[in-house]
Amino acid sequence: MSILDRLVSRHLDEDTLARIWSEASPGDGGPQHVHLAECAHCRARYAAFENWALEIRDEGVSEADDAFPPERLASQQAHILRRLEAAERPARVIAFPRLGRPVTASHGAPQRWVAAAAAGLIVGLAAGQLLDLRRSFYRAPTVHEMDVAQKGGRRNYVPPASAPSLASDDSILLYDGATAPDIPELQPLDAITPRMRDTDQQSR
Amino acid sequence: MTVAQTAALPPREADSVAASAVKAYQAEGRHADARERYTELVSRHQRRASRIAFHYLRDAAEADEAVQDAFVKAYSHLGSFREELPFEVWFTRILINGCLDRIKARTRRERWIVPVPEAPAGQRDFAERVAGRGPSPEDQVLARERRHKLAAALVRLPERQRSVFMLSHYEGCTSREVSALTGLNESTVRVHLFRAIRRLRTLLSHQLAADSSAVKGEKRVHS
Repeated sequence: MSILDRLVSRHLDEDTLARIWSEASPGDGGPQHVHLAECAHCRARYAAFENWALEIRDEGVSEADDAFPPERLASQQAHILRRLEAAERPARVIAFPRLGRPVTASHGAPQRWVAAAAAGLIVGLAAGQLLDLRRSFYRAPTVHEMDVAQKGGRRNYVPPASAPSLASDDSILLYDGATAPDIPELQPLDAITPRMRDTDQQSR
Repeated sequence: MTVAQTAALPPREADSVAASAVKAYQAEGRHADARERYTELVSRHQRRASRIAFHYLRDAAEADEAVQDAFVKAYSHLGSFREELPFEVWFTRILINGCLDRIKARTRRERWIVPVPEAPAGQRDFAERVAGRGPSPEDQVLARERRHKLAAALVRLPERQRSVFMLSHYEGCTSREVSALTGLNESTVRVHLFRAIRRLRTLLSHQLAADSSAVKGEKRVHS
């Protein structure tokens, strides 16, 4: 229907139909409009408009109801009750972890062995290095060093012309040159030290 | 008053009685009894709540969560419920606020996250799988198409118009009830409803015209 026709016949336009529809309450039993009561054409148009609105409603309601079948509603209710029950239960206190252990802590035993072995190896290497150092500090004197020491320390030492044969330990001890070396600094000490030979003669 | 006795009462009065009983049980520390009595309220309002949440969120899983949240929240805040206000109105307000919060959160999320493409035709939603009884596959396709168009048109409505339209047209609420639910003036509710239906009619008729021209174009190509 053109605008000219509507103006001539003074039928209701779409906006007016929409306004009448939106102002009618759901349980009122139809719109109270003078023109609608008189004009069959507009009544038919309004009925078509109402049907269209009802179709939309049915479509929307059935879509929502299809999305929530009875099974889903039952599971929803169970969920709600479970959540209510959980909310009323006192909160469980979870102890704060003392050590920030990794998640793979269950495989700790072999790891501990590996760590111990590694530590042992490191300690061993370190000890080895230390011993080496000590040896370098307290190393055995060389032949040359021994010569120098003999020459310096025992300058006045004169070996005896007739040294006894070193057949036994006793003969070494009885040997005068061995027990009383000719060192001037030690001679006063030598003089007051009893000799084995003297004690041997006294016991006889 | 027991559950059997309240069943004979009109729904609103029954709600009020049940809510008062739950409140009293909670105050006495009889939580199991309170929960049991609350089940009555849940079963009475669950379907309607799910429908409202679905219309707001357009996603069955999210609507399910929103309904659960609203019921849990209503239970824990039942102490602040005033008996002179219908439980339905109080609860629906909690639900709608929850839905609007979710929509806001979703909008924020979508700003940063690229949406996942829809599942292929073989993998359908739980609701679609369960609802597969009755109409033929062709009817199902057509119905889905219609629903899709309607949903697209509803999404294009401003938020207040959409809320008013869904509550008054889908849920059959009067202007006064919608006013109590949304906090809008009664006359404003009527204006929003009028604008919503007018816009929907325009949008859907445009879609119809676009569809028919597309069909004509296809026919021309085939001939």
